[in-house]
Amino acid sequence: MTTESHPTPADTNGLDSQADLSAPAAPILELRSVSCAYDPHRPAIRDISFSAREGEILCLLGPSGCGKTTVLRAIAGFEPVRSGEIFLSGRRVSSSSATIPTEERHVGMVFQEYALFPHLRVVGNIAFGLGHLSRSDRENRVQEMLRLTGLEGFERRYPHELSGGQQQRVALARALVQNPVVLLLDEPFSNLDPDMAGRMRQELHTLLRRMKTTTILVTHDHDEAFAMADRIAVLNHGVLEQMDSPEIIYHLPSTPFVADFVGQADFITGHVREGMVHTELGVFPNTLAAEEEAPVVVMIRPDDIHLLPDKSAGPRIVARQFRGSENLYTVRLGSGQIVHSSESSTSVYQEGTAVELRVSATHTVLFRADQFPDSAQRPHALTD
Amino acid sequence: MTNLRLHATFPLQLAVLGSAILILLPLGYVTGLAMSADLAVWQRLWATRIPELLTNTVALAGTVAVLTLLLGVSTAWIVTRFDFHGRRLWEVALVLPLAMPTYVLAYVYNYLLGFNGPVEHLWQTLAGPQARIFSPQSFWGATLVMALDTFPFVYLLTRSALLSLNVSFEEVARTCGASRMRTMLRVTLPLLRPSIVAGTALVILYVVSDFGAVSLLRYQTLTYAVFQQMTGRSDNIAASILSILLVILALIFLLTERWFRHKSRFHQTTGRYRAPLRIRCDWIKTATFTAYLSAILGAAFGVPFYLLVQWSLSPEALAILDARFVGFVWNSAFLSALAATAGVLIGLPLAYLASRKPTWLNLGCLQAAYAGYVLPGPVAALAVLVLCLKLVPFVYGTVVVLIVAYVLHFLPAGLQSLEPALQQITPNLEEAARTLGLGVQSTWRRVTLPLIRNGFIAAWVLMFLQTMKELPATLLLRPVGFDTLAIRVWLEASEEYYQLAAPSALLIVLVGLPALALLLSRDWRAA
Repeated sequence: MTTESHPTPADTNGLDSQADLSAPAAPILELRSVSCAYDPHRPAIRDISFSAREGEILCLLGPSGCGKTTVLRAIAGFEPVRSGEIFLSGRRVSSSSATIPTEERHVGMVFQEYALFPHLRVVGNIAFGLGHLSRSDRENRVQEMLRLTGLEGFERRYPHELSGGQQQRVALARALVQNPVVLLLDEPFSNLDPDMAGRMRQELHTLLRRMKTTTILVTHDHDEAFAMADRIAVLNHGVLEQMDSPEIIYHLPSTPFVADFVGQADFITGHVREGMVHTELGVFPNTLAAEEEAPVVVMIRPDDIHLLPDKSAGPRIVARQFRGSENLYTVRLGSGQIVHSSESSTSVYQEGTAVELRVSATHTVLFRADQFPDSAQRPHALTD
Repeated sequence: MTNLRLHATFPLQLAVLGSAILILLPLGYVTGLAMSADLAVWQRLWATRIPELLTNTVALAGTVAVLTLLLGVSTAWIVTRFDFHGRRLWEVALVLPLAMPTYVLAYVYNYLLGFNGPVEHLWQTLAGPQARIFSPQSFWGATLVMALDTFPFVYLLTRSALLSLNVSFEEVARTCGASRMRTMLRVTLPLLRPSIVAGTALVILYVVSDFGAVSLLRYQTLTYAVFQQMTGRSDNIAASILSILLVILALIFLLTERWFRHKSRFHQTTGRYRAPLRIRCDWIKTATFTAYLSAILGAAFGVPFYLLVQWSLSPEALAILDARFVGFVWNSAFLSALAATAGVLIGLPLAYLASRKPTWLNLGCLQAAYAGYVLPGPVAALAVLVLCLKLVPFVYGTVVVLIVAYVLHFLPAGLQSLEPALQQITPNLEEAARTLGLGVQSTWRRVTLPLIRNGFIAAWVLMFLQTMKELPATLLLRPVGFDTLAIRVWLEASEEYYQLAAPSALLIVLVGLPALALLLSRDWRAA
């Protein structure tokens, strides 16, 4: 499935702020229709193609078992490729006939559990891959890395004497100190508590920008992907569903799966009449150019629906969920369809209140009804 | 609530304290005996026996350690890192030597390598009629037998460490540019070091306390000397002095093992487990591995087992399979069952209290129970003997003394099965049962007991089999004329009646086989 480009206001609004990165630079990493050998214990991937430019942070996003880690391991050279090719700095490193061993690929990798060598101190871990350098060079590089990652003073510690955040920094330092062609991060924040994860995300982002390291990050958390990535590749069942900037992924998802996976979304059925899409929530532009009377589905995010209390209106509030910075309302329409609306933290309405719904039409996305595997009346299951 | 609990566990607490004291008493008494000995006795021993005995013991232990290290690590590496035809079979078969008590292997090798034996014949057809091989009754003979018998300890430990090793360590080393070879030397082996050292320490402990092989091969070690002092000279004072030396030596290796195991705690990392990829082998590698493993296993188990079967089927051997033989079997089974039951009954409260109420008192009692670890058979026998002569002379020469010595000696083995079984049930399970309205006793009966049943059975089986094989304590403490299978093997083998010793030896080996299944499926330490 390839990405469709939508001629929408979003583009002109400058949502694609990373456009300046798409300079002519040759891709550092390129995957050409890569499929991985089927192994019952590992998710298979099919026909994956994408490339990463120098200095780009690219995120592979998807639910567990979607094959994102398999992609990462194929790039590292741990997973043989059944068909297709992988190029690193223009050199073919994986194909169905030959696999260049990991140690000759110059990739850095940070594992989910960090895999710090427990028998080596922090310095020993960081210097592990620098055996080819002279002693003084090695020490300089390690010192610089310690400074960059804020680990000064912890050189002589063993991994088990460090906190989770510190362990992660050591793992990062060990990978970055070799100046890898590409840095591979496998769910790097999943072992940290949410507070720490937020801080490390920020720090890592700054560090990677400063070092201009091309990075592939694997995660199942869309917030993490939004915060870190220049571009996001969404994977599902081993297939690349969409690859775009975070803003486009969120506002203009190309498949219902993407729409649902990266944030709360409601799907409302409608029909095309006289060139417009008619739904229970009003009329929307027919961006799909679907033919007359074709069944279509409109995706609307809670932040695009606003509530106005109106005693004469049909829709009713059935639940309110207080989330600190916002109130998320669940509203039942006349037909029984459920939609969600995000209101400011201070607008509190009682359950049962009759409300009128206002939809800001700029961010609606249209799908053909047959894009839904299980009929258009799909309950909004996969929220956050 | 607290009061109620205290009340419920009070009798248990007393029982635990009592058993700990009973266990420590003999050891303490032997120490006292050695310390109170006349200085002249110490001087005489230092001048005559001790230097030689210490050198012999340490040299044997050291050489066996090196050999088992090579055998154990190489075999473990082959079966975990390569994929070849028959790998699974080898993986299981490599523990078979543990079913063979050292005295059985020693007596078979006495024949194999002995004067005019089959190996010498073979060698003479190759190297000329005057060629000689080393005698089995020598340092190298004892080394060979002990190494072949104990390398599975290192194999089992290394294998399980290799299987549970997080592959990410090796993968991350590869991303750092390390080749396969460098990864093995710089990452895998250092990570395995605690397991390998622990296995080797276990081997050394085993060698230092072994009596069966060295006595049949007439190789003078401390353990053998303790036995000789007690039987030949009836000199319990000298025996206790040698015992103390032996205990200290064993303690050093036990602490080494503990220390490395403690260190390896940190090597367990969280995260996903992924099975290591095995390297597929072409036929040349397959043939090489098969030849290597066959040679080791053939020498350690295949050939000896074949000889035992053949000897057992000889007319001389068949002739002794009479009512007397049945009596020996009964004696063995009776003693073993009694010792195992007593061991489980004493071990269970110890392990339970230490895991549920880990006060220093309870933990101390548990540690006391592990004292048997550093008590080689003759020493355990000596300790029980001198104490019982002092306090309750009328039980001397009865089965009771034997049972006490067995429990003292084998309780650690049982506890190592009981302890993990108890630790894996969280107190939450018992508390959940209490919130569901069950009392203390019905919680025990309906929750705790069913959960620990397997550990319980394993502990019993292990202590049963250990007792079945036990030789020195039985030799020293048995009632007059009360022979077991192990005694028969030793007595006949000492006189070089190979055929007559075979049926008893074969039976011991066969009965020992089920324990190996336990070893493979459970924690290796159940050994």
